[in-house]
Amino acid sequence: MSSAVAATSPSWQALRKYVNICRASLVERLAYRGDFLLGTFLRFLPVLTTILLWSAVYEGKRDGKTIAGFTKEEMISYLLLIHISRMFSSMPGLASGIARDIRDGSLKKYLVQPLDMLCYLLAFRIAHKTAYIATSALPYALLFFLARENFVTCAGWAMLPVYLLTLILGFLIGFFFEAMIGLMGFWLLEVTSAIWILTTLNYFLSGQMFPLDLLALDYPTIHMILQWLPFKYVAYFPAMVFLGKISGPELVRELLLATAWLGVLSVGSRWLYAAGLRRYSAYGG
Amino acid sequence: MGRYLRLFVAFARIGLATEMAFRVNFLMKMLVEVLWLGILLVFYDVLFRNMGGGSVAGWDRWAYLFFVGCHYALSGVVETFFLENCTNLAELVRSGELDQYLLKPIDEQFLITTKQIDWSTFPNILQGIGVMIVSFAMMQGEVTLIQSVAFVVLFVCGVAMAYSFLLVLCSCSVWMVRNQSLVEMWWLFTTLMRYPRELFVGYYVSPVGMFFTYIVPVLLIVNVPAATMVRGLEPGFATLAVITAVVLLVFSRWVFRLALQSYRSASS
Repeated sequence: MSSAVAATSPSWQALRKYVNICRASLVERLAYRGDFLLGTFLRFLPVLTTILLWSAVYEGKRDGKTIAGFTKEEMISYLLLIHISRMFSSMPGLASGIARDIRDGSLKKYLVQPLDMLCYLLAFRIAHKTAYIATSALPYALLFFLARENFVTCAGWAMLPVYLLTLILGFLIGFFFEAMIGLMGFWLLEVTSAIWILTTLNYFLSGQMFPLDLLALDYPTIHMILQWLPFKYVAYFPAMVFLGKISGPELVRELLLATAWLGVLSVGSRWLYAAGLRRYSAYGG
Repeated sequence: MGRYLRLFVAFARIGLATEMAFRVNFLMKMLVEVLWLGILLVFYDVLFRNMGGGSVAGWDRWAYLFFVGCHYALSGVVETFFLENCTNLAELVRSGELDQYLLKPIDEQFLITTKQIDWSTFPNILQGIGVMIVSFAMMQGEVTLIQSVAFVVLFVCGVAMAYSFLLVLCSCSVWMVRNQSLVEMWWLFTTLMRYPRELFVGYYVSPVGMFFTYIVPVLLIVNVPAATMVRGLEPGFATLAVITAVVLLVFSRWVFRLALQSYRSASS
């Protein structure tokens, strides 16, 4: 097939629509560079205090040099890598945006146009994330350079494609998970509270505060349950793959489970959207 | 003075009535706060269990928990009484609604920064106090009268400092173009007051600690009152905290007035 034919084929037409959405959103994001940079700078304060806290923890520790199999360097690397995971998987404003569109009736803008809401939002997010990653790459590169001596163990260059794959899986799981919460707005008048609770829980359950392995000794039940839930794929899992702490058959099993969760969440959100539209009555002007 | 007190009580009553109109929302917000404290407690429990009874930068388990409680109560006070009001300032300027505030026969800083009281974060103060009481009991510490009076005074100074920083940040936002993320910026900035000052050790880090103790004294806010209860009154730091609180209050008022001067009542 020649490229001229491909360019006019219906599937390309459909795709081009989303490529254009992606481009427009990218321009919009880059318009507020100053805001972006100030925010990025302030975002480093928690990184600094976290490193200081954990350094003091290892300093003050009475027995042995490791905590749940993590040396001090590995722990700090892990906590830095969490930022990379969240760079891909955090979805600020997605669930609340969907819920707001449902509540105030602006959802109909998707219904009267030949545009699928979930695909539109996904295209928008990809642009948002690209801009975000591009603008914060430099400060993060600097941060990782400053903390380079902590990266004594990592899985090596050969694992880099797998790491990238886990980040993309994290992005997609994060996206569909948040979308499902927002879509509950078809049934619940007010989902903001549900969003708060899940965001708070997610912070803990996805291993953003510390590696989930630390729970194994004192909270074995929670630790076991978390192994089967999707939360860990948005923060814990990519970081552990980068550090080479998950490899071999375990890695394959985890990747399969993550893919299964992605399947469940994407089908689930599609289904919720379809079911929601059937009872949707487009309030508002 | 009596007029200001009566107004404040009226604001508090209106705020409570507004919250009670959306009771479930109110309860949910409180639930999130309880959940968050629970997560923090589990976090520090896991941390100290895995440390085998050591201490973090000289703060052992219960002393550290006292610090956490003190921070929780202090930020609870700021969130309940000031946070929403201050972050609204930029919006008042943009929409031109600030006019109505300036026309009232009352101090505009008082009116703007205390008008809305967010009762849903009020329980945080009580939770923080609860954590402090439990951890202090576990420390089996003895407290003198001077110590407890000093604690209360220094706690109030901490609140005054936090309030001043918040007011300066929000006044600056009047000049900035986009400030939707002011709450987030405040949250990021206050990360510094969440941890003991003693964490800031090391060749590169101790200058940072010095900077945030003496130049931009965020680290004094929680550290001084908490250390007073845990280790006893340190007169040097206590004096510093009181002086800093007064200086910051004056400075923030000056910045606030400067920001108001550039207000042009743009909307009407």
